[in-house]
Amino acid sequence: MSDQFTRISPLADIAFQGRFGADHAAPGVTLSVQHPAAIVAVIARKGKAKALAEALQNWRGVRAQWAGAEQYFVLDKPFDEVRKKLDGLASCSDQSHGRAIIRIEGPKVRHVLCKGTPVDLHESEFEIDRSALTQMAHVGVHLTRIGRDAFELSVFRGFSESFWEWLTEQSEEFGYQVI
Amino acid sequence: MRINCPHCGTRPVEEFTFNGDASVQRPASNDPKTMDQWFDYVYLRDNPKGRFDEYVHHSSGCRAWLVVTRDTQTHEVFGVVTARDHAKKRVKA
Ligand SMILES: [Zn+2]
Repeated sequence: MSDQFTRISPLADIAFQGRFGADHAAPGVTLSVQHPAAIVAVIARKGKAKALAEALQNWRGVRAQWAGAEQYFVLDKPFDEVRKKLDGLASCSDQSHGRAIIRIEGPKVRHVLCKGTPVDLHESEFEIDRSALTQMAHVGVHLTRIGRDAFELSVFRGFSESFWEWLTEQSEEFGYQVI
Repeated sequence: MRINCPHCGTRPVEEFTFNGDASVQRPASNDPKTMDQWFDYVYLRDNPKGRFDEYVHHSSGCRAWLVVTRDTQTHEVFGVVTARDHAKKRVKA
């Protein structure tokens, strides 16, 4: 069904590519909107938390990010495939239209993010592939460390525009680029 | 005040929503004769000075319901458990 519609990024009219903010030699952070993205919210059925965690761990080619107790965001796979694969283990709901994911990376990434969240993101404390649920600028954010100095921030679609404005404002002092 | 969420780690109080006394227990019966118990359960609350078990929602975090034991006078937090574990413990007791 969803193939009949063209999914438009909620940030299509605001996240323009280019170089912005302070003019240092290299940009402090690089932002990119991950669109389109396949996002499925997955919640373990009663008594199936362990089996679900194992099924996700053994599923190659899929990213399963912790999103609360016995809950995950499954990325990169279409909804029907996720639902079939996790049948009996979890309740699944398609959030591809409901959330926007912004990737932020670069040498100043922690300087930007620590203006918004109390979560300790130091590399010795917050390892790669780990996720946290927190709040930045009053917006609920699901964040995941995806590389050495790279994070993905997932927010509700309706908040993504004001969140983008906040994020770019915080990045200005370091210089940022949008790709 | 900081609360150590069992799922998320230590977070500031701004991330949480407080929802009152966790010691009250829903009456088992719907019999109209138990109206007094229901009135107590729905409306009447103690206002203790000192140690207090309280329902707390990690609303800006993992969205789990927790029970936080704290001192209402000093805000010292003695312990945090999930509401699920709190309920299970109560069934056993
Ligand atoms: Zn939490």
